Order: sequence, then C-alpha cells, then structure tokens
Amino acid sequence: MPEYNPERNYIDLEEEILEAFILAKDSSTIQLPEGHFLFSQSLSLDGKKHLTIKGMGMDKTVLSFKGQEQGAEGIKISNSQNIILEDFSIEDAVGDNLKISDTDTLTINRIRSAWTGKASTENGAYGIYPVLSTHILIQDCEAIGASDAGIYVGQSQHVIIRDNKAFFNVAGIESENSSHVEIYNNDSYQNTSGLLIFNLPGLTVYGNNIKAYNNKVYDNNLKNFGVKGSIVSAVPKGTGVIIMATKDVDFYQNFISNHKTTNLAVVSYEIFAADQDPEAKVFIDANESNGIRTIDSDFQKDQAYDPYPGRVYVHDNSFKNEHYLPTFSNDFGKLWFFKNKAIIPDIVYDGILPMGTKLSDPDVKVCIRNNGDASFAFLDAANEFEYFSNDLKPFNCIIK
Amino acid sequence: MIEENIRIIRLIFILPLCIFLFQCNPGQKNIPKAKKGVLAKPLIIKNTTENKFLSQYGFFKGELADLKPSKDVFPYNLNTPLFSNYAYKKRFIYLPEGVQMSYKEDDVFSFENGAVLIKNFYYPGDFRMENGTKKIIETRLLIKENNIWKPLNYIWSEDQQDAKLNYVGEKINASWIHTDGTKKSIIYNVPNNNQCKNCHLKGKDISPIGPTVAQLNRKYAMLSEKMSQLEFYKEKNILKNLPEHKNFPKFAVWNNEESGSLEDRAKAYLDINCAHCHQPKGSAKNSGLDLRLSQINLRKQGIFKPPIAAGKGSGDLQYSIVPGSPNESIIIYRMNSNDPGVMMPEVGRSIVHHEGVNLITEYIKNLKVDASR
Repeated sequence: MPEYNPERNYIDLEEEILEAFILAKDSSTIQLPEGHFLFSQSLSLDGKKHLTIKGMGMDKTVLSFKGQEQGAEGIKISNSQNIILEDFSIEDAVGDNLKISDTDTLTINRIRSAWTGKASTENGAYGIYPVLSTHILIQDCEAIGASDAGIYVGQSQHVIIRDNKAFFNVAGIESENSSHVEIYNNDSYQNTSGLLIFNLPGLTVYGNNIKAYNNKVYDNNLKNFGVKGSIVSAVPKGTGVIIMATKDVDFYQNFISNHKTTNLAVVSYEIFAADQDPEAKVFIDANESNGIRTIDSDFQKDQAYDPYPGRVYVHDNSFKNEHYLPTFSNDFGKLWFFKNKAIIPDIVYDGILPMGTKLSDPDVKVCIRNNGDASFAFLDAANEFEYFSNDLKPFNCIIK
Repeated sequence: MIEENIRIIRLIFILPLCIFLFQCNPGQKNIPKAKKGVLAKPLIIKNTTENKFLSQYGFFKGELADLKPSKDVFPYNLNTPLFSNYAYKKRFIYLPEGVQMSYKEDDVFSFENGAVLIKNFYYPGDFRMENGTKKIIETRLLIKENNIWKPLNYIWSEDQQDAKLNYVGEKINASWIHTDGTKKSIIYNVPNNNQCKNCHLKGKDISPIGPTVAQLNRKYAMLSEKMSQLEFYKEKNILKNLPEHKNFPKFAVWNNEESGSLEDRAKAYLDINCAHCHQPKGSAKNSGLDLRLSQINLRKQGIFKPPIAAGKGSGDLQYSIVPGSPNESIIIYRMNSNDPGVMMPEVGRSIVHHEGVNLITEYIKNLKVDASR
C-alpha cells in the first residue's frame, strides 16, 4: 500500500489551542502559529458565528491527533454559521479528521487532511466531512489516506468542491445524499475509486442535481481498505467514477483514465444491495425469519428514496485506458472476461429500471454522447445480462 | 513467493529485536512525544465574567466539601444514572426564591432563568463505606441564563477547600477500593467545555438530560422517607403543573431486579447512557439510531440496523443489535472498547462499565424479535 510520511517534530500547545477553540468569540480570528502541534483530544467548536481559523500554510501549521486518547474527530464543528478554515493540515485523527455538521456557510481553503504512514483500514474514516450543512465551499484542499472518503459531503445542500486533490483514500471524493453540488477542477488518483456520486437509503435527506466537470480522475486501482460493513467497502477497486441512484447529474468535460474495473459506472442502488449491502441481507433474513415488517419495509417502502439513477447526462468527456486486462478481483472484472471480450469498458450502465418504466422515459433516462471513442457496456443487470450490449445509439440523447 | 519470504525473514529478525529493545506491543498505540511549546502572543483575548470559584455561588453551607445544601438548593436523584467511571454523584437544583420548575409529561422539566443544576462527582475512598472519606473531583453546573443553558465546570483542589473554574478539561488520577474489595485506579478525564455540549445538545440548544418525570419518580432519603421526589417538590411549592393523578412513568433502576424486567432495565440504561446523542435531536442523529426508551420502531432501536457512518466503530459487524447474539452486536463491541475511535459513549468514560455491558449482553441474548410488533 502507498505511504505518506512527512517529517514531524511535535510541539505541545494543546491547552492553549483548545482554550482558543472553546472561548473564541463570534466575529474573530484564531491565527495558529507555525509548528506541528500534537493533541490528545478533539478540538471542537459549537454554536459560533463568523469565525476564522487560520494557519500559516498546510506545510507549516500541522494539527496532529496521532495517538489521540479522547473523542473520535480531529476537529469537529457544529451548529455554526460563517466559518472559514484555512491554511493548515489535520492529521491522524482516530475517526474523522475534520467533521462539520449543522452549519451554514462554510469555507474550507487550503486544508490538508491526511493519515500518515501506509493507507490502512486502521486510518480514520473521512478526511474532510461536512454533513447536514448548507453553502459549503471546499477548495485547494488535499485529502490523503482516508479509510472511507477523502473529501465527503453528506446530506448537504449548495456545495462547491473545486481545485482539490485526493489520493490514497478508498473513495477520493464523494457526494452523498447532497443536492446542488458542483464538483470541478479536482484531481482524484490512486484511490480505490476516484469520485462517487451516491444517494443512499434510510437517511433523512436525499440528494440530486449534481454537476461534475473538468475533473481529472485517474489510476484509482488501490486495493479496497474500507471497513467491512461500510458502503465504500463494497466499491470495486479500479472504478473511476460511480454515479449511483442519483437524479439530475450533468457529467461533462472530465478526463477519466486508467481504471481496471471501469472508468465510469451509472448504477442503481439495487446492484449494490444485491451483492454486498447489509440492507439487502436484512431483507433476506427478515423474510426468512417470519418477516420483521418494520425492517423490510424500510428500504422499499421508503417513499422518499429512489434507488435508480435518472436524467444522468454523460457528455464531452475524455476517456482513456492503459490497462488491457480487467481485474479479476471483483464481479465486474469477471463479467468483462465473460461478456465483454475481456475489454474494460469506459462507461457502464446497469440498466436496472423501476417497475413499469423503459429506458427512454424522461425520469430515468441516461444520455451518453460526445465522449470521443469511449467504449460502453449496457449490462441489462435486471435480466441476467440478457440484452448485454455495447451499442451506445439508444443513449445518444440530450438532457436539458 | 519471494515477497512472502522476505516478509517472513524480516519478521524473524525484527520482532525479537523489537520486543527486546522497546518492549513493543503491536496492539498498543504509539503516542509520539511533544515538547511543550510557548506562544509568542495569546491566541485569543480572554474576558470572561464567570465566577472563578464554586464557593462564590453560595450553594452549600458550612464546609464546602460536605455539600450541605443552602436554602433554595434541593437535592435530587435519578432512577438510572449515566455511568461516569464509577464516580458517585450528588445532584442539586438551585431555584432562586419564588422560581419554580414545571412538569413536562415526556421531556426534561422546564426551568426559568436563574435555575442552576449542580452535579458533584466524587469517589468514596472505599465503596463499601459510602459515608466514609471521599474525594470530590469536579462539580458541573448548568446555568439557565437569558433563556439558554450554559455549562460550566469546576475542578476541586487536592485539599478539597474549593473548586476552580476550568474550560479545557483535565486528567486526574482517581483511586478507590471497589465493592468487591479490589483497589481500582484510573485516569479520570474532566470534560472540556465543548464536550459538555456534545452530550447536552438537543437540536441547536443545550438542555439538561436527567430531570425527567420518569427519572425523578422515586424516593430519595435525603429529602423524605415517605414521599417521592415529585411529591416533595410539589409540597415545597417548587414544582408546578404536576397533574393530580399518580400514574407517572417510572424508569427502572438498572441494577435493581425488583424495579423492572430485564428489558425495562436495559432500555433505561441505554436511554440515559446513549440517548442524549442517539435520538432525532441529538448530536448522533445522523446515525439513525434512537435509543430513547420511548422508541418503538425496532430498527431505530438498533435491531438489525446496519451502521451508517460508524467507520471502524462497526468492528466488522453488520448490525447494532442482533437478537440472541450479543457478540455480533455492534453496541456490545463499542460498549466494551476503550479505543477512542470505537468506544461508546465516546466521552465521559475511560474504563468499561462491566456491569452495564453485562446487563445489555443479557438483554440482547434474551431478545426475541416479535413479528407482531
């Protein structure tokens, strides 16, 4: 596994910095000095307004939680407004390096979130993790070594993720159950998967309306080191981009290359659920043991949740692949051997549709055009690959 | 093959060397060393107006450490308390003259401005002699001011003369003779001010946790042998809106089998230890787990509920609670852990509450999923 090993000389200013976080007044700035500061506990902010926390640069000011004894997060911000974090690094928290929840108007500038040493399951889950928040800008950041997602925006609205780098994570960048998200000018490489646009069931907030453009997503073939049971642990290595169960996705002018499973997949939640997701097993267990109605109804009767992608427009992207043989480490790779002449497709669409709809229905439509000579596989996964096809013609449409 | 051999050769050479030289334990965490730094200038301007010492409030008369309540300070006790490293607690409510608290049917009682909840954490030197010598560690206050609750924390001096305001928390050595006669010694973490909020946050506001009707519905010898706390407060005219009927809900006492069934006691324990965060308005709402006693949806209670964002906290297990199988239940795994990335609750304890784990283990072992529910 790849490693990130910066040189560190730790300084203890725990009490002073912790006190500044706790007692900081609204409308003020905490200017952190240069140095590698070591903490035994989380730094948290709650209910603050118009607060800026600034370092001297991501290489100069490092907040390290290596050997942390208390709390799970490195920095945790909640119930706040107009928060700016910039110019420092956060390292080695037991759980998430930077978690922000229930916050409105948040800017994260030039922050590096990293787990040092080898990419490992022991690393914390999320690098930069705003959740249940609104008006979020994440720019010029770096995310390294997360055992879940490097940059992960969950259950949030109005989000811009731009000019960031993510590498050595299970998922480089992930937008989960979020709406009105723009993801552009990012580099995501050497992760298990580069970019995930997901919508998961059982949560209070669902996502749609995502634009992703001008991203470079390449070489994401890292062995999956996610914790078993987590959603990302079910992501096959060597997938550049996965768009799952999300409506209104405009994916264009991206550069996607060198993935051993596929460069881009558009799938429904069912293809995940069928195989690895515990939810599906609850299902089976429930039915086998006389039905626990409260449980099995959750996923399918969840009125607010739609497990199928729709109005997904993949156009004007550039796809390349230096890998000739698909990986044999997952079912998709194997499928290419048996069904696709051992060719790794650039774009995959599972074709699983809601009952009673057809591919061309406006709400479930997937349009794929102007992607150079990108290769394609339509799986027809709902019918045991009966109409598996490489024909892009039925998908040559426009979504406005 | 070659790679494998190299790995084995490395292990053969490095392991004994490592054990010999550093007594290293691969399971133990490496905490790097840090030298104390000095700030060129303070990070923030401090201008707080809080009382620096606990004695300034006048909550107690006589020797402060005797914790004898002054006028307008009323003791209270809960049926099932939060586990805090086996610390004993003495709780009081301060209500300025003429100020009352009001009954709420299914929530924490409401308090007017000026009310203060006072919670003292202490260790008797010997748990078998609860009224013998004791060491008070800290006193936590929740002060109702301008319609919001403000948490403040005071740490007692070694000589037990007074307690001093603290924002950043502290590690304190605590030791005692346990109920079984063994000597226990732990590092007790006094929470920092934000950690207080972590548990006391409900929605966007801070709220007390303990004083609900079901928790207060009991007798407390410090008040009266004859009547319940509720009746006592009503008689003292400090509790208003208490309905005339007597059918108030009552939490089981977690470690008293006569007080309720295994399920009642387990759910009361989970409610007070977990549900301040694991509920729809708590700070762990994004987990989807709701451990309030009032929750009837099995999945929300954790039964066959997969983790949402637990990361390695799931311990490679699939569900919070698997009826009949405590060993496959994430909840037991996390209650049994002291690893900060795994342990639950994540603040407030540094050691495992074995008796609590046993209770929840028994509960899960005996749990049958009732299809009719």
